[in-house]
Amino acid sequence: MSFSFIEIEESKTRVIALVFIFIVFFYFLTAYLLLIVIENSLAVHFPEMLQREVFFLPPVKHTLLVFILALAAALTHWIISTDNLIQKITLAIGAMPFDPKDTYHQYFKNIVDEVAVAMGGRLIEAMVIPSPGMNAFSVQGFNGRAIIGVTEGLLTRLNRPQIEAVVAHEAGHIAGGDSLSTTVVSSLSEIYEEILSKLRAGIGKARGRGTAAMILIYAVLVIMHFLSSLLRYFISREREYRADAIAVRLTRNPLGLAEALKLISSHWRGAGGQGQRLEAIFIVNPRHSKLEERQGLFSDIFSTHPPVKKRIQILLSMAHLDEKTLEDNLKNFRRVSPVAVAEFKPADSAGPKRWFISRDQKWLGPFLLSELRQLEGFRPDQWVRMQGQDAVMPAYEDRDLKKIFTQNKEAGFNCPHCKTALEEMNYEGVPMLKCPYCEGALVEQNKVSRILLRSDVKFSEDTVRLAQSIINSKAKYKLKEIDSGSAWVLSCPQCGRTMRRQFFVYSYPVEIDRCMYCTGIWFDKQELELLQYIYEHRDKYFNGKYF
Amino acid sequence: MSISLMLLVIVIILLGWAFSIYNTLVRLKVRITNAWSQIDVQLKRRHDLIPNLVEAVKGYMAYEKDTLERVIKARTQAIDASGLKSKEQAENFLTQTLRSLFAVVERYPELRANQNVLRLQEELTTTENKIAFARQYYNDEVRRFNTKIQVVPSNLVASMAGFQKREFFQIEDKTEKETPKVKL
Repeated sequence: MSFSFIEIEESKTRVIALVFIFIVFFYFLTAYLLLIVIENSLAVHFPEMLQREVFFLPPVKHTLLVFILALAAALTHWIISTDNLIQKITLAIGAMPFDPKDTYHQYFKNIVDEVAVAMGGRLIEAMVIPSPGMNAFSVQGFNGRAIIGVTEGLLTRLNRPQIEAVVAHEAGHIAGGDSLSTTVVSSLSEIYEEILSKLRAGIGKARGRGTAAMILIYAVLVIMHFLSSLLRYFISREREYRADAIAVRLTRNPLGLAEALKLISSHWRGAGGQGQRLEAIFIVNPRHSKLEERQGLFSDIFSTHPPVKKRIQILLSMAHLDEKTLEDNLKNFRRVSPVAVAEFKPADSAGPKRWFISRDQKWLGPFLLSELRQLEGFRPDQWVRMQGQDAVMPAYEDRDLKKIFTQNKEAGFNCPHCKTALEEMNYEGVPMLKCPYCEGALVEQNKVSRILLRSDVKFSEDTVRLAQSIINSKAKYKLKEIDSGSAWVLSCPQCGRTMRRQFFVYSYPVEIDRCMYCTGIWFDKQELELLQYIYEHRDKYFNGKYF
Repeated sequence: MSISLMLLVIVIILLGWAFSIYNTLVRLKVRITNAWSQIDVQLKRRHDLIPNLVEAVKGYMAYEKDTLERVIKARTQAIDASGLKSKEQAENFLTQTLRSLFAVVERYPELRANQNVLRLQEELTTTENKIAFARQYYNDEVRRFNTKIQVVPSNLVASMAGFQKREFFQIEDKTEKETPKVKL
């Protein structure tokens, strides 16, 4: 990097010191003004008590006291905001650590590692926000811990060079040293947002019981809130340009970043929800705001990101291309799934793997993996042949059969219908447990949304036909039509309790079994694919009307 | 102020400046060593991944024995190589053999869909990317160091202290620079 680490450390400390001084100053200013008002009003009402002229400045002793109180308030504010800084912020925006069993998340972690190597080998953690919007963020803590995160929507919509460019941009913030100050300042201004929103909720509930003191406190907090938004002045817009430049320097690919910015900015950026004040840590402001697209003193103070158009222009000039080429590229942009996925094989053609084993000179079988596990006398040196293959090998050489000898017990969960042992597998990159016989699947509740967002798998003709007929018949199920005495009642494979048969969501006519105690959802044979298909074609299904 | 005092002050200032330049050069040199070890780490990782890949595809590719053997031989050569130049050559050769191996894997539809093979392919791709990035970082650091040695104020200090120019991690193999021919 062209700036030495010493310069970065020095500028970091300077900014943080300045921010702290600013906070002390504004607490002091507010308290001092209050002090003047109070002392003056006391003098007006009780002139005998104070025996002074009509308007005056408070004596030094009082000012000193107020200053100490302000210092205490600033320290409290600082400590509350920056204690466990990273945890607070990641909780506020809903970021979760990446799931190592998920192929997409592992792929994202690989990209983060690559960019870390390009920076000289720094440790950077990866997180994912489970939101369909597109955005990316970076935070840094006081002990040097750095995190880069993206949303699920971004992972499913960008290809490798683009994701790399986005990650390199975030790494540029970390390398450039401004990610720490941005994190601290965002957290400082966030606290009033939190307090106010809690108060608003509280006041809403306690209508009519408010006293004058409560209203005064609320007013003071609103003023503090506004003043803390001035803290945004410490976050310059220019740092985004610098991070863009570092991203190009790391990846040598300005077009990738330009495409990514264009795609992100023209899509929902994940606004709403918590973390309203935390916009600065994202690559593109989650809120679409006209203020940002302008330049000038006012927007320089109050917006945290420069105009996206200008950023794209600068990047395109680096690549010696123009806007038209960018738009053409994006029109012809067909995203190739980064994790090449096996095509869906309908049940009758291939099915689960089976092996023939050789015993007493005869070929027995074909057996499923779970059956071989329970077979008596099955030893590692017995010859096996996989169904559909010609190669004959001893059992310990087969990758899947090796598992039998190395694992002493199974995953432990059995299919609620046919009691076969469930096998771990990835569908659309998401880890889940599948029954090799009846093709039912057990998926954790919070992972289903990932499956819906991703669309790599081709559906079988059967599924497509069934889904089309559901869409065309425009069957809209009403609550009354849920049959409570339904045909079967399943027990949860994980905890054994009875699962409830219901719609996954009431807008889509796909019934599933949900365990109300643990986090599992059981999908029968085609239910998951149907749900995915109808979700992907929801425009047709809802005919433009969602309600 | 006497002249000798002024001279003393000037000498002290000059010495201080010389020391700071020397320190900068030393820091840059340490960063180069760090960058080289990064490359080493990634190359080692690639060496460790290859046996797994060969195991995974062996059962399916009964007729491609020579491709696999070439990969294994290239790997042993790369592990045994020592010295910058021979290491570069061995690693470039290994990259070539891996490329031909992946081209062959594409022809086997069951391999293309096999989860293990896919996972290993992804691991190898990301390792190749990391090697490329580590090389890039190493070359960037070497560039900064070499520039700093030769630029006017600091080249005096550099030549007195005996700092030498470092070599870049180049592409030796001429075929990598040719445009790839697609045989249909």
